[in-house]
Amino acid sequence: MTLSAILQITLYFALLLLLTKPLGAYMARVFTGQSTFLERALGPIERGTYRLLGVDPEQDMHWSTYCRALLVFSLTSLLFSYAALRLQGFLPLNPQHLGAEQMPPDLAFNTAVSFTTNTNWQSYAPEASLSYFSNMVALAIHNWASAAVGMATAIAVTRGFARKNASGIGNFWADVVRATLYVLLPLCLIGAIIFLALGVPQNFDAYAVVTTLEGHQQTIALGPVASQEAIKQLGTNGGGFFNANSAHPFENPSALSNLLTLLMIWSIPAALTQTFGKLVGNSKQGWALFGAMASLALVGVIVCTSAEQAGTPHLERAHIQTAASATQPGGNMEGKEVRFGIAASALFAEVSTGASCGAVNSMHDSYTPLGGLVPLFNMLTGEVIFGGVGAGLYGMLTFAVLAVFIAGLMVGRTPEYLGKKIEKFEVQMAMLALLVLAASVLGFTALSSTLDWPTQGALAALNTWPGSAYGAADSVYGAATHNLNNSGPHGFSEIFYAYASATGNNGSAFAGISANTPWYNTSLALAILIGRFLMIVPLLGMAGALAAKGHVPASSGTFPTDTPTFAGLLVGVVLLVGALTYFPGLALGPIVEHFQLQALATH
Amino acid sequence: MFDLLFISLSVGFFALALACARGCEKLQGGAHG
Repeated sequence: MTLSAILQITLYFALLLLLTKPLGAYMARVFTGQSTFLERALGPIERGTYRLLGVDPEQDMHWSTYCRALLVFSLTSLLFSYAALRLQGFLPLNPQHLGAEQMPPDLAFNTAVSFTTNTNWQSYAPEASLSYFSNMVALAIHNWASAAVGMATAIAVTRGFARKNASGIGNFWADVVRATLYVLLPLCLIGAIIFLALGVPQNFDAYAVVTTLEGHQQTIALGPVASQEAIKQLGTNGGGFFNANSAHPFENPSALSNLLTLLMIWSIPAALTQTFGKLVGNSKQGWALFGAMASLALVGVIVCTSAEQAGTPHLERAHIQTAASATQPGGNMEGKEVRFGIAASALFAEVSTGASCGAVNSMHDSYTPLGGLVPLFNMLTGEVIFGGVGAGLYGMLTFAVLAVFIAGLMVGRTPEYLGKKIEKFEVQMAMLALLVLAASVLGFTALSSTLDWPTQGALAALNTWPGSAYGAADSVYGAATHNLNNSGPHGFSEIFYAYASATGNNGSAFAGISANTPWYNTSLALAILIGRFLMIVPLLGMAGALAAKGHVPASSGTFPTDTPTFAGLLVGVVLLVGALTYFPGLALGPIVEHFQLQALATH
Repeated sequence: MFDLLFISLSVGFFALALACARGCEKLQGGAHG
């Protein structure tokens, strides 16, 4: 790695570390109902919201009630977005006159599901498909709500560990409202103003048509970008205002906006480890989780950056300089923005896929096989490398339960975590949450690798891109592998990545797959729903069961879980589960491709 | 017609998730009963 890369990574992690403790302590106050410095300004809004909803924020919910509230809220907001997308032609703020034709039923379903679940997978090009109203209301509402739901779930699971002999795990509505008002709103306001100052546009104008230096006419898409950008990153949503996402100069104009973006993505997930520590009454427990996440993150970013900076044998054969110098970054620059270079692109890929963000400032499809393996593996861990807002913490706590279970098996003791006995039901729920992810990723990848839809007749529409909506010819693909840009192992990686991204609720794309067909839109949406809700349900069940238990006093036989040893065990369990479950898939994709590339170098 | 199909699919999935929650609740009752 170059010195510049080392300095950039070090600076980023140092700033993240600085933010973690104060933000974590602040969120602990928010989620325990204590007053904060924003109470005077936002308290009336909070109380007014409860009155409007008819909610008593003090009412403690049993886990099943909490779960039902979460599911009903998500379904209602999903249906609202579906309707708004389909009806965008009749709604305001639509200077480009985009309508239902650009948002057919399967695409609207995929998009509404994707944003409801904090995934923000985008099968469409936003500037050619979405009105400003669709962007700002139908979808942006989820950027807030889905992030708040993730945080609420993480706090509910945390309460499961923190409470003794309790029947409830908190109030879902109060958690969502407080997360939105006291955490997301102020941070987004600050972030949006900084983005504006850095040159990100914020307007409602029609797209500008300009004459280029060569004399050609060019349409430049505009819109309310800065406000969307802030919640997109802070809520680990990731859906771009423009198709090029954070590689677009209006979303991410400079190295400084890139650094701000990266900090916004991991700030809440990292700080939630400290919130967890505060709520369970032992900050070291939070630091152990932080340590495990940071270790995985560091290894990932080092591997990815090194692989990209090493370049490929193709480049060497073409006598292209692959070593970095003062005038060029060297390595594999394909698919990367010159203004960011390799280090800031690889760090972005690590942060965005470690969190369930999915924003991209470079095209992951163009990474070297090992460089591309890193973001793919990050998503396959279940997004626990800091992870999505809330999702990262409850995902890592699932692994923590498994880690103490494995440690308990090794020493022949009933496993305990934070003074709670981990028994049959908790392990069943943790395993269910992890197995459902694996079944979705591997099952849908296998289906799309083998399905051969007809190219004629009514069924041909199932895998056809409706180009006519954009003034182009329709593309009838037939086999689901025909939607890929590449064949062989790289093509397999494109499918594997898509379902890993959907199930992990990440939303980033390898960018090598034409996914806007009814088959991909529907199957990816189902993978997204499974990855979100069929993971949350068992984890809330686990939280409820744990909250009902009493504390077991620590004894000489208790396995300490606030030490570097436990953090190491946790990392081992994450890697082991990931390796055992997904190694065959990784071997068929990026690993084979890596050896193919190396063979090219020796022949 | 397709709108109805996707709306039904959404509602159907959430019904399944609710059924899973009930299943977990029963399992919990069994585990501690």
